[in-house]
Amino acid sequence: MPVFASVGEALLLGLASGPACIAACGPVLVPSLLTERAGFRHHARYLSVFLSVRLLGYMLFAIVAWELGALISLPPAQRLLMMGIVYLLLACILIWYAISARRACAQSCADSKLVQIGEKKIRVLAGAASLGLLTGLNLCPPFLVAGIRAAQLGSMAAALIFFAVFFLGTSIWFVPFVGLGCIVRNQAVITVARMAMVLIALYYLSMGIAMLLGKKTYGY
Amino acid sequence: MATDARIFRSLLMTLPIFIWSLLMTGFHPGAKFDPVSSTATIFTTLFMTVLFFMMVRTHSTYRWRRIFFVSLGVLFPIGFIYNLVLARGTMGIPIEEMIAGRTPFCFMPIPMLILPAVFTKTIAFPGSIASSSHGIAAMVGLWQALTLVMGKGWCSYACFFGGIEEGVAAIPARAKICKLDPRLRFIPWAVLLAMVLLSLALFEPAYCMWLCPFKAVTEYVASRNLLGLIQNVIFVLLFAGLVIVLPFLTKKRTQCSWLCPFGAFQSIFNKISIFEMKIDKDRCKPCLVCQNSCPNLSLSKESVDRGETLLSCMKCGACVDACPRQAIVWHIKGTQINWKPERARLMFLYGAWALAVMFGGTIIAQGIATILHFVV
Repeated sequence: MPVFASVGEALLLGLASGPACIAACGPVLVPSLLTERAGFRHHARYLSVFLSVRLLGYMLFAIVAWELGALISLPPAQRLLMMGIVYLLLACILIWYAISARRACAQSCADSKLVQIGEKKIRVLAGAASLGLLTGLNLCPPFLVAGIRAAQLGSMAAALIFFAVFFLGTSIWFVPFVGLGCIVRNQAVITVARMAMVLIALYYLSMGIAMLLGKKTYGY
Repeated sequence: MATDARIFRSLLMTLPIFIWSLLMTGFHPGAKFDPVSSTATIFTTLFMTVLFFMMVRTHSTYRWRRIFFVSLGVLFPIGFIYNLVLARGTMGIPIEEMIAGRTPFCFMPIPMLILPAVFTKTIAFPGSIASSSHGIAAMVGLWQALTLVMGKGWCSYACFFGGIEEGVAAIPARAKICKLDPRLRFIPWAVLLAMVLLSLALFEPAYCMWLCPFKAVTEYVASRNLLGLIQNVIFVLLFAGLVIVLPFLTKKRTQCSWLCPFGAFQSIFNKISIFEMKIDKDRCKPCLVCQNSCPNLSLSKESVDRGETLLSCMKCGACVDACPRQAIVWHIKGTQINWKPERARLMFLYGAWALAVMFGGTIIAQGIATILHFVV
């Protein structure tokens, strides 16, 4: 396949799959962004880290899967195992995030300037990075579609380029999330976001355990 | 005004509600006479009319509304379960039936379906929209119009789930648990946010699948494996905890205050509703009787100081009736605080009671008819 056609296809696939990507990442991204302080720049930085590491997750998975020759046909049992582990890790990180957001708030309540002094950048970066990585490894439908298409290409390099361009196409859909920066942060918003995080974490936890036990989560 | 004239005025003001009740609860001129449904219709019409008359006559809202609301809460499962068992032979609905949308209509998932509908132009609704689309569309349209006018009034005058806990909360003379963490008020918003996002991610009404306590008294997922069993255990535990035990201990509508995402969604409309509760700060000596009387934790010391209720106010009228100084009034936005509060109350009540009759009246009539089927 000509390179341009492949790149164009990846970009279009990414653009078309964008809504499914934000649907898959929304439960993780929206509450974590809402626990951060307001401001477009801060949100843009957070989102950049999240997306960069998500790309890293894509690439990592693509390389490993290519090497193992399993990019197309990852056996259902292994897929379930991988999804289960990813869900459990996501649950743990979301709970950690919800707890640490409380600490950040406690530090920032005295004075607005203390927000910047008291906020731990490492927490924000580590949070965004770990969530980005795990959502990158999450085998959501658009990711699987891209994986199948990339596996039909001749070399690993071509597959990686395909994934990278696909990622760019999907990432455009994430730009509106920066708009969450204009929502005023007060105790109510942060508390709601933290509680939502815990609820979503509980969902991921139950799904993760069910998958590790080899139980179907759908079909009943 | 003489007493007779007042009674006549109250009767005259009740007349539109009487006619509306008669039409809504199933009176159709020329229809074949059925003693059971006719008795249910007549009883419900009189019931709704008398309650409205008493609200007009006594200038009191809450206690009369509560009689209706508890009746609705009790009679809804009776009629619903009867019909469900009649149609299917069981309350458990297989997942295939749910996916196919062959389940009864419920308003609870509406807010959770907006984002999936926006992104996919498909509605993941766990109800029979397809079979009676005009009826559902009309119902959603009416709900929108009335919600825009009444704000969160839906939760006090039409919701067929809140009545059970309001009835349970009315049983004890005093609350056993008085100190409630104010942060718990944020949970419905968190549930709404989490369920909206999960519904979008999973393309299913996540709240119905995992958290709805009222599955315990309506239809539930027929469990065929461990996961289905866990879901049903969650439903029963939430129902027992939030609808029975905690309302009894706190005398509050705890499910509405601490879980219901639909209530949180409805709260948003309080911002644009023209009716609200206002506290006249000149009259108010902050005794906080209103705060204790509020069944929904919609008053705090800070909000009383500001002279208003919180966003979650359901406009049930409990605080207005409880205030010993008549400092809390029904208010139309844009008018002065004490501008004819009784007129504002009646204007609100006409809309609210019309809604109550339309949704609740039909359900009450159905519940009564079900009981009569067994008794007669």
